[in-house]
Amino acid sequence: MRPIREDQQPTAPAEGGRSEEEKRPLVVELRKVTCAYEAGHAAISDVSFSVREGEILCLLGPSGCGKTTTLRVIAGFEPVVGGEVYLEGQLASAPGVLLPTERRRVGMVFQEYALFPHLRVVDNIGFGLRDLPAVQRQTQVHAMLAMTGLTGLERRYPHELSGGQQQRVALARALAQKPVVLLLDEPFSNLDPDMTGKMREELRDLLERTKTTAILVTHDHEEAFAMADRVAVLNNGRLEQFDTPETIYHTPSTPFVADFVGQADFIPGTLHNGKVLTEIGEFPNQGGYHGGANVVVMVRPDDIHILPVERSAARILARQFRGSENLYTIGLPSGRVVHSSETSTSVYPIGTPVELRIVATHTVLFERKQTQELGA
Amino acid sequence: MAIAARQTLPPSISFLALGVAGLICAPLIYIVYLALSADSAVWSRLWTTRIPELLFNTVSLAVSVSAGTFALGVSLAWCIVRYEFPGRRVWEWALVLPLAMPTYVLAYIYTYLLGAGGPVEQLWQAWAGPEGRVFSPHSYAGATLVMTLDTFPFVYLLTRAALLNFNLSYEEVARACGASRQRRILRVTLPLIRPAIVAGLSLVILYVASDFGAVSLLRFQTFTYAVYQQITGRYDQAAASVLSLLLVLFALIFLVTERWFREQSRFYQTTGRYRTPARKPCGPLRTGVITLYLVVVFGLAFGLPAILLIHWSSAAVTEGALDARFLGFIRNSVVLSGLAATFALLVGSPLAYLASRWPSKLNVLCLQAAYAGYVLPGPVGALALLVLFSHLAPFWYGTVLVLIVAYIVHFLPAGLQTMEPALQQVNPNLEEAARSLGLGPIRTLRDTTLPLVRGGFIAAWVLMFLQSMKELPATLLLRPVGFDTLAVRVWLEASEEYYKLAAPSALLIVIMTLPAILLLVAKDWRAA
Repeated sequence: MRPIREDQQPTAPAEGGRSEEEKRPLVVELRKVTCAYEAGHAAISDVSFSVREGEILCLLGPSGCGKTTTLRVIAGFEPVVGGEVYLEGQLASAPGVLLPTERRRVGMVFQEYALFPHLRVVDNIGFGLRDLPAVQRQTQVHAMLAMTGLTGLERRYPHELSGGQQQRVALARALAQKPVVLLLDEPFSNLDPDMTGKMREELRDLLERTKTTAILVTHDHEEAFAMADRVAVLNNGRLEQFDTPETIYHTPSTPFVADFVGQADFIPGTLHNGKVLTEIGEFPNQGGYHGGANVVVMVRPDDIHILPVERSAARILARQFRGSENLYTIGLPSGRVVHSSETSTSVYPIGTPVELRIVATHTVLFERKQTQELGA
Repeated sequence: MAIAARQTLPPSISFLALGVAGLICAPLIYIVYLALSADSAVWSRLWTTRIPELLFNTVSLAVSVSAGTFALGVSLAWCIVRYEFPGRRVWEWALVLPLAMPTYVLAYIYTYLLGAGGPVEQLWQAWAGPEGRVFSPHSYAGATLVMTLDTFPFVYLLTRAALLNFNLSYEEVARACGASRQRRILRVTLPLIRPAIVAGLSLVILYVASDFGAVSLLRFQTFTYAVYQQITGRYDQAAASVLSLLLVLFALIFLVTERWFREQSRFYQTTGRYRTPARKPCGPLRTGVITLYLVVVFGLAFGLPAILLIHWSSAAVTEGALDARFLGFIRNSVVLSGLAATFALLVGSPLAYLASRWPSKLNVLCLQAAYAGYVLPGPVGALALLVLFSHLAPFWYGTVLVLIVAYIVHFLPAGLQTMEPALQQVNPNLEEAARSLGLGPIRTLRDTTLPLVRGGFIAAWVLMFLQSMKELPATLLLRPVGFDTLAVRVWLEASEEYYKLAAPSALLIVIMTLPAILLLVAKDWRAA
């Protein structure tokens, strides 16, 4: 099979403005943080990342990966057994050091919002403002009400609000005290699916308007990509990759990340003279990979196009109609399968012999033994 | 199918239910009638002499016992739920045991402990010199102490359950809002578990208002004790009924207010995912302080009294207290309580069954009426039955039958509360399935419904049996001449300060009540 490639350089993540961003101060910094609920059984280990002022960071990973633990460490609910956490340059957590949550000035939005059911909306929002004089407190609460579109609901109790309104109250309460960082734990998981899109936009807009630094926990990579300036992917308590959403999607640094943030196929190949030889064709080694000769190439469905060709040995095994696209499963002569994303209107019957056309702009290579743990 | 079943409901069951409800309501209605038809001179005499004092005593006792049980119950629940220390699980159970100690038993032990020349006074005099005096048990302080030690487990149990179900996120979000520990407890945790605390306190208040055993032995003048005195000392049934009516009103107003508050705070139910707080491990110092606190409270409420009872009982037994007469008291108690529990189960079943299967207005009303016994403290119900029987059926007056009716009126509500959920848990479809398989209504009941509700009904029987064993005021007032039960013996001997003689009966009551307490708590444990 003749490889068909459009050789292009990968589009680098937007570099513009990066130097300007670098000047912004670090708000949260984790240095090799390890946290264990039981001794010898780390929930997260050696996690390091930082968040600059005004940035939105997503902690992404499957359930049990340690993302909520990381958030709770930053909030000061959990002590660390190794490493340090800095908030605005001040040491907040280290082994034996734990600045209490109430003195960290972090805003927290829980998954179930945890609105105080015995307090009205105004008192919920004003809960963290009791050090302010009454007049100022009232002004601040009303500013928050207006900003989150809750005006008119001041006198309601939480159980009298819809899910979306409850979330806004939780946000308003956390933002009212002007936190150094806003921590959100799966904030959209309690909302109806058709509402999450709207609430995501609202939240993003609100965070930008208030210039709030935020860390958001999610297991949904689409949510992470839609919300985040940068994404930290966690797996088994370890940080797998910390980068912009685009980089994470296009050039994942581990097979786990590649698989977690979207559909990915791993095609075995061998490295030979700077080229990767595989069953579906040749890929250039663009220099990012420096491992052994036995490699796998990661391809995403949108990297592969199919053309019906009579004599071809690859065949369509299945088609999944997804509305905006058709996802084809293609069986290769070796028995391996790859996936291809076609336009919504390209419909071929199952069993059609097809030729593969690789349109990837860059090659992602892993050492072959790395992918074995994924079962790929 | 449901309509067909409704049509086949024999009207005799409805009449039976109506009859039972009427029987149970009769004392309450009769008391109201008696009080309202009493001469206005009686009213004005009582109003100027007794009522202000009784009202003040009853209310102030309720207030001080509430304050005491609030402090003990909430702090103990907090220690048990929020801290981890050696022996915690044992203490968690042990703190419920004081409920097995009837108030008259605890009162009698404290009249000994705090009485003139008693051990506490001797200890105090060894410290403060021969002129040292401790407060008399026959006082407001004495009654408060005894009632608090006896009823704090109500508050403890309900607060414990609420704290266990408490969603930790509320405290965490308060921390993130910068609230200090003190502010978190006062503004977040306590308000959120308030419904449970209030429910516990209202049980305590009803218990205090209707208690006769402790206040009579401690000679503290409350409504129940005054009603008893009017009946036995002055033979003044009109005055007794007026005081009874006021007591019933007091209980009724309280119940209605409590229910209203509960409606108001329904939304306090926490929703969403629970993260229950981890117990904080304690160092040696904190473990010591908590354990000392637990030892003192448990020792005063149960440990020390139990040791004294065992000590006195063994002394009494060696002196030959276990004679035929004593065995007679046991037989009287067991037979009487067994009959009462069995009859209560028989008359309660149709009520509970009808209300859960055919919840028509009339059937539900019948069931509600059966709960009237709740607002009828022992002496009041006894007074009503006494007058009722002496007027309407004098030939039965002074027989065991009257006592059994009194027990049924008094304890059926507690039994119904266990029977009702048992019946409600049986899916009507099961009965309908049995009918569709060709079983007649009687066989359906026997082969389908009864086996499923058996556990709940046995629990109800045990509960009513043991309550009847402990019952004091109605037994005192209505028993046939010379017919003594264990509870009556304890009270009679204790009134004469024959501490040793009272002990075997008291110990037996406590031992028999223990399984019922543990049964109830195990149910509550599972629910929480």
